[in-house]
Amino acid sequence: MTRDVPAHSTNVELSEPVPPELPVGSELVLQVKVSCAAGCDLGAMPLTVTGPDGLVTTIEPRCGHDGAPGDTAHQDNTLRDITLKAPLRVGEHVWNIGFAAHESEGILHEECMLPVCVRTRPHATSLAAWAIPSPVVMGERFRIKVGAKSSGGCELKGQKILISDQSGAVIAQGRLQDTPWPGTSALYWTEVEVPAPDQEGMFWCAVNFAAAEVEIPHERSSSKFSVAIVRPPEHRLTIEVFEKESKTPIEDAQVRLGAYGAATDPSGRAELALPKGTYDLAVWKVGYEAPGTTVDIHDDVSVQVEAVIVPPENPDAYWLM
Amino acid sequence: MGKSANTRGSGKGAASVSRRAFLSKGAAGVGAAALAGVSANEARAQAVKWDLSADVVIIGAGVSGLAAAITARDNGASVISVEENFDIGGRGMLSGGRVHLGGGHALQQKAGIKDSADQIFKDWVRHDATVARYSDRDLVRVFADENVPTFNFLVENGVEFIEKPIGPEAASTVPRTFVTVEWQNQDEIYAPGGGRNGSGLVRRLEQSARRKGVQILLRHEMKSIVREHASSGKVLGITVAHPGGTLNIEARKGVIIATGGHTGNVNFRRTFDPRLTEEYQQACLPYVFQGAKGELAAMEIGASLWATANQTSESGAAITKTRHVGCRWGYSSLVFQPESKLFPLAKATGLTVSDWQNMIFVNQSGQRFWNEVDGSYRFFAAAMAYNGDPSKLNGGGPIWAIFDADAVAREKWDPKPPHVDPDGYFASADTVAELAPRIKNPHQKKPISGAVLEATVNRYNSFVASGTDTDFKKPTPMFKIEKPPFYAAWATPILHDTLTGLRSNTNGEVIDIRGQVIPSLYCCGESQGGFAQHGLARCLSFGRVAGRNAAKGAA
Repeated sequence: MTRDVPAHSTNVELSEPVPPELPVGSELVLQVKVSCAAGCDLGAMPLTVTGPDGLVTTIEPRCGHDGAPGDTAHQDNTLRDITLKAPLRVGEHVWNIGFAAHESEGILHEECMLPVCVRTRPHATSLAAWAIPSPVVMGERFRIKVGAKSSGGCELKGQKILISDQSGAVIAQGRLQDTPWPGTSALYWTEVEVPAPDQEGMFWCAVNFAAAEVEIPHERSSSKFSVAIVRPPEHRLTIEVFEKESKTPIEDAQVRLGAYGAATDPSGRAELALPKGTYDLAVWKVGYEAPGTTVDIHDDVSVQVEAVIVPPENPDAYWLM
Repeated sequence: MGKSANTRGSGKGAASVSRRAFLSKGAAGVGAAALAGVSANEARAQAVKWDLSADVVIIGAGVSGLAAAITARDNGASVISVEENFDIGGRGMLSGGRVHLGGGHALQQKAGIKDSADQIFKDWVRHDATVARYSDRDLVRVFADENVPTFNFLVENGVEFIEKPIGPEAASTVPRTFVTVEWQNQDEIYAPGGGRNGSGLVRRLEQSARRKGVQILLRHEMKSIVREHASSGKVLGITVAHPGGTLNIEARKGVIIATGGHTGNVNFRRTFDPRLTEEYQQACLPYVFQGAKGELAAMEIGASLWATANQTSESGAAITKTRHVGCRWGYSSLVFQPESKLFPLAKATGLTVSDWQNMIFVNQSGQRFWNEVDGSYRFFAAAMAYNGDPSKLNGGGPIWAIFDADAVAREKWDPKPPHVDPDGYFASADTVAELAPRIKNPHQKKPISGAVLEATVNRYNSFVASGTDTDFKKPTPMFKIEKPPFYAAWATPILHDTLTGLRSNTNGEVIDIRGQVIPSLYCCGESQGGFAQHGLARCLSFGRVAGRNAAKGAA
């Protein structure tokens, strides 16, 4: 700049602070404002963005800069959107938003630069374990379904998933299948066979997902599930549930004896295999009330349960005493 | 309608006006004048310029207000009725139409039910029934004596009943509930198809009131009650605001407060129970807001509250379990279907729960707090308990129902709009850990931790596996929450009955804080304190009492 022209300093600023951390690969839209210290309108001047990879892009003014209808930044038409794409690498990344020196109509607008610093973090992962049979006889093997989800919705097919016991020892493993579980957006899943311990009681397992083989960085995750482990069955218990007055069988009543459970069939029957012992029997079905009883299993036993109809609660009848 | 949703704002505004009125001794008549934009002294000096005039002016055209209006007309008075809503009926429009009147009326006789006024009185002063224990027995006596005349009044004014007695209910020892026939014109009701038979009650009364010459001004909101002096003298009329401006309406013989209760006014309701912070929604919104406007306007000119123990007697439906989860206003018996004209405001029908075994409830920190199948006041106490958030000492924060794909299948739900409102009242996710941070609502001040919610669900699932809920004794927890996807649905308790209000004598005249009658001011319905019976019967009976006595002038 050899000629003696008046120089105005300029400034680039963000309308909102940048979040300190972003997941890798995510997009961040920033609103940037460029202004002149002397109040000149710089809305029509281009801005440049230099990415962490050194790539330079030019950001054109927002359309409607001239204040035409539809201008979303009608209050301040020097605001414009800049979309930054976070790298797939975890770490600190810097973008430089720059305004190049510009001379027109006898005024020099000086250059300025705003560094935008963002840390990237891996995607989170989370897990589900379902279709877990209960109870399981000690020493037997049982199958469960397990699934893993990337917070970025990344494809996880073929990824390894491990099941460990309370001591941390890996007792089963599997690889996630090709398509997500029906009804989910991206829960990749598989079925694994798990050996039950040789002791009765509640058995806690962990599902572990390291996401080690995924290209995009992911955090590992772990989630617990429980299984009731029981002694081998010795006797059959047949339960018949019917309505007390009409003697009609009640279908789909839930029958529970501790860890053992079943639902009654259309004839009101449910069958269970249990080891010897004394159990509290509970029967549950909405619209019915059945007394709790104690059942002593020392042989094959048949139990009849009379349930009483409880009239459906009239939601308008709020007359509690 | 727009203002009705802003319960918090209304409560605050109401409080500040009330305090000013009590504190400024020099500002006599402030209630009337200050709110109308004229200074109190000016108002007194100039005397109010009345835009409209009638013998009796009734604030509110709901169940009690309509009964009062017709009765005042029947007794020879000219009547102006002002209603802030765009239509009449108040909560009666959405009620089940269950009218609990007895005493031996014609339908009871037809059904062979023996009853008398004395029996009603005996039943409703029972010491062993909390719904009756705390009531003012002078008012119960009036109610008992007015039952048969009120039933006859309804029939004479065209109200039709289903001739099937229900009961005995609550403190009653004989069947007294009869249900009105739903209004036949579907265009004139707001929750069609849901058994909201109260529409038949209020539409019939409206029809009769209009035929008899009651002038009903809709979208006219009472702003103040004008009394001769700040805390003495006769009540002269009211000031109202309407879409076109303001009006001063003279009441030559009396003003009747029939504004409904206070349930939606957060500041006011916390007078009785500080736990009832803003997260608890009011039943019958978004149709009708219960803003304590009548109580506040009357208190500004010296009125007293009465029998406030009723509000917290922990009986009846002051607080209810949300039965339609995943929407904002899931009150027990009320569903706004997509066909309803109110649906754009209600936004979702909710998922109607048939079996509470299908979910767990967690509080704002993602933890279970009680046995989910319980619906007693013990459940509500736990839901509103302090749960460790130092920034939330009163109220318990939002309650969320957490369930899985198996529960959806068992309940046969379709967890998508229009059944759920994803804008703050419903969330879904592929895993429990992912679900937690998606739970977003204005009352959920901090996100729920994924790890905490996952631990809660895993622990509950272990109770299902073992058969015993060692934390909250849910009777035999039946179903695990394990199969993806997972859901969170708003299930915060919802508030219904107003069970306390203004003090009145047996004529319905409002009594001031010194025990003196405020001349020419009456109250009825949910704004009236002293008788905690749920529902329509007390509103109708005391509406008639107030209408009759106001028409007579000085009682």
